[in-house]
Amino acid sequence: MTAVAPAVSAPIAAPAHAETILSVRDLRTQFFTRDGVVRAVDGVSFDLKRGETLCIVGESGCGKSVTALSILGLIPAGAGRIVGGSVRFEGTELTTLSEAEMRRIRGNRISMIFQEPMTSLNPVFTVGQQIAESVSIHQGLNRRQAWDRAIEMLSLVKIADPKRRAGEYPHQLSGGMRQRVMIAIALACNPQVLIADEPTTALDVTIQAQILNLMLELKDRLGTAIILITHDLGVVAETAQRVIVMYAGRKAEEAAVDELFRHPIHPYTRGLMASIPRRSAAGRRSQVRGRLQEITGIVPSLREEIPGCAFAPRCGFAVDRCTREQPPFEAHRPAHFAACWEAARVVGTPR
Amino acid sequence: MTAYIVRRLIATIPVMVVVALFVFFLLHLTPGDPAAVIAGDDASPAEIEGVRRKLGLDLPIWQQFGIYAWNLLQGDLGTSIFSNLPVLTLVKQRLEPTIVLALATLFVAVAFAIPMGVLAAWKARSFVDRLVMGFSVLGFAVPVFLFGYVLIYVFAIQLRWLPVQGYRPLAMGLDQTLRSIALPAFALGMTYMALIARITRASMLEVLSEDYIRTAHAKGVAQKSVLLRHALKNAAVPIVTVIGIGLALLISGVVITETVFNIPGLGRLTVDAILKRDYPIIQGLIILFAGAKVMVNLAIDLSYTFFDPRIRY
Amino acid sequence: MVSTTASVTVAARRTSWADILFWSRRNKTIIGGMVILLALVTVALIAPWIADDPLGFEPTNRLKRPSEVFLFGTDQFGRDVYSRVIYGTRISLIVGLSVALVATAIGLALGVLCGYYKRVDAVAMRFMDGLMAIPAILLAIALITLMKASLFIVIIAISIPEIPRVARLVRSVVLTVRGQPYIEAAIASGTRNLTIMWRHILPNTVAPLIVQATYVCASAILTEAGLSFLGAGTPPEIPSWGNVMSLGRTFFQIAPWIIFFPGIFLAVTVLAINLVGDGLRDTLDPRIARRM
Repeated sequence: MTAVAPAVSAPIAAPAHAETILSVRDLRTQFFTRDGVVRAVDGVSFDLKRGETLCIVGESGCGKSVTALSILGLIPAGAGRIVGGSVRFEGTELTTLSEAEMRRIRGNRISMIFQEPMTSLNPVFTVGQQIAESVSIHQGLNRRQAWDRAIEMLSLVKIADPKRRAGEYPHQLSGGMRQRVMIAIALACNPQVLIADEPTTALDVTIQAQILNLMLELKDRLGTAIILITHDLGVVAETAQRVIVMYAGRKAEEAAVDELFRHPIHPYTRGLMASIPRRSAAGRRSQVRGRLQEITGIVPSLREEIPGCAFAPRCGFAVDRCTREQPPFEAHRPAHFAACWEAARVVGTPR
Repeated sequence: MTAYIVRRLIATIPVMVVVALFVFFLLHLTPGDPAAVIAGDDASPAEIEGVRRKLGLDLPIWQQFGIYAWNLLQGDLGTSIFSNLPVLTLVKQRLEPTIVLALATLFVAVAFAIPMGVLAAWKARSFVDRLVMGFSVLGFAVPVFLFGYVLIYVFAIQLRWLPVQGYRPLAMGLDQTLRSIALPAFALGMTYMALIARITRASMLEVLSEDYIRTAHAKGVAQKSVLLRHALKNAAVPIVTVIGIGLALLISGVVITETVFNIPGLGRLTVDAILKRDYPIIQGLIILFAGAKVMVNLAIDLSYTFFDPRIRY
Repeated sequence: MVSTTASVTVAARRTSWADILFWSRRNKTIIGGMVILLALVTVALIAPWIADDPLGFEPTNRLKRPSEVFLFGTDQFGRDVYSRVIYGTRISLIVGLSVALVATAIGLALGVLCGYYKRVDAVAMRFMDGLMAIPAILLAIALITLMKASLFIVIIAISIPEIPRVARLVRSVVLTVRGQPYIEAAIASGTRNLTIMWRHILPNTVAPLIVQATYVCASAILTEAGLSFLGAGTPPEIPSWGNVMSLGRTFFQIAPWIIFFPGIFLAVTVLAINLVGDGLRDTLDPRIARRM
């Protein structure tokens, strides 16, 4: 690895043949609590191509955030750890890297943005210092150069008067601005992969669209691949090229975004779609009371091993086999995968 | 900021007035004749009369307080009965050892306690953590005048590394001073260390669970830097507060430590004054120590702005 | 304490034993501290049977090393340090307990009054601020020098600087409780002030007060020993630990046992009380426990 920033690749719209840069195989992450083992991620696999936007969607507690933290090796030691599977980044296996080697990847080649812009920035340092820290760690820039780079990044994320803002503390900025700063920190070293964990959830609806558009625009400019983690299908529809639906630590369905919205296969995906209000053209939510459906039942406890399909207890299509055997994750349509025994019957039923 | 400091200084006036009133009337609220108390049990009537005259105890009480307060405002802390020297002069003579001891103790305590607390918080619930917490519980229980003698016994009498007792003034050279002050500083610093280590651990534990610590890790910041740069600065405000509280504790400890180690500082001055019932000296020292404590509190509050940009006065 | 719980609930003996086991496992510190304290109280009570006269001296036995005859050695007057330390337990426990009681009682009364009546508050708190600005040991020294030294005066002198600390704690609890809607409701419905204080406010102060009292007790024992060590505390003829240690000062290089044995007793006593205090704090107030 060199201290110099890797060349910015040309803007690409992630053609299907693009090279895979991140490859996750059968990832298993468990937490060890007083009440037993929690299988937060239970055998997840996916590939991320250069410059692609991949959305991981699911309810809270389905393991999407833990997947992200696992990739970066940020599972707090003592609480939990990766117990199996592999994460390969540009051909390097990440799960076996030393802490020091991993640090050279974090924030440099793979960056992450978190959900809470209000608490994710350090309150006692100026935002300029926090961006500069990233580049001085990874690119060996001196104080002056790092500061200039910080100002440059602030203007890149469209913060007005970046010279003045760089000297301000997080509490002097609004939520939307803080998330822009987070993006600036994450992109300061031109990473190949940006993992954004619910980046807009804590923001005002009007700000949400701005932040998403900014991320997409920068992605195109810098050629960064994005893993966008969200529970909001509206966000998925607006941003993703490919979508993974997760449930109870496992993958339920995976397809290109249009394909998924047109022909959802898994009953859980269908449930999710039925439970969200449609977005009008302006991107504002139009609540139509009485027409939204909720998925009945509750998310299963991850403390016990689930022998069959995790969604079976809440699923209207479930048969005996669903609670006994885990369904294989297989293609039911071209380039469209789902883990469901009754896929044929589900697809045959109108939504 | 300036306005705040002025406001705070004004707020210390009632506190100091209460202290002055207390110190003054204590002498008069005691049962019996204050002149007789001060002159001692074996004093002749003539001697008692002499003390009364010298301290102005024959004047009406409010007039006495008026004179006392007026003198105080001019920086006159009174005059020693025995040596006939102004209390302030005596204080000046004894100031150096006490200040050197206080600073050395502060340094020793902070230099050991903060790494201990940080380590304990980082490795929470581990063996190291238990060790630090065990030390901190012990530090609260072992009195200065036991720990001090243990140190003398081990390092001065058995190993002969350091002098047993006494103080070498700075004029004799810094190394001499440091050698003479090392054991007292550790003895006095023990409780203080326990206090700071405990609060450092608690404060760090809270900060380490914050989101911005996760952000720092995600940026690829090294563990050492996460702890010492990102976390410690955020954990500083409670730590500094406790250091301030501890300084007050230290003042009481100074009196005992100087006795154990035979250091001719303000603490010895206090003890000698007690034994001779030289009440003006005790009065003066109380005022002085109380004033120092109030000023330390102000300094601590002002230091918050340095650690946390959200605090502005 | 443990045994009474067990005998009261004879009907459910099985579960109660299990409960006690569970409780004591989670409260190792309290149990540990309690056991040591109980041992010390026993020592204090049976002192006449396990020790000789603490004042009796034989000039021929000056500064004897610890041996089978003189377990902890002798001091410069030929007095048995062991006997003096055993009797000293009485003094320390009496001082600790008395100061805890006096300071807590007065502090509680003051704190409730200040929290409840704004006018009292303004005056009393200014006074407390002043009192707290004076280092505790100097305040006690000043009081003791001016009065005829006796154990009673020592207890009072040590209590006075502790009072503001207790009063502040109680006041803050009262202020919090007073703001609660159910107190407002009680006032609005014409309940007498005294009834409100007794029924609603006092019970809320019990838990923090007990914890505070243990710390006051520990610090009082240390302060008494410190004062006596300086020669400004308990009258020298009373064999308190501080007095014993004070006499050892001059002869420390040749007879360190005079200081070490009472010192160790002192440290262990304070440690035990602090352990009980820490344990109680963790049990009674889980919120603070997590932070400390």
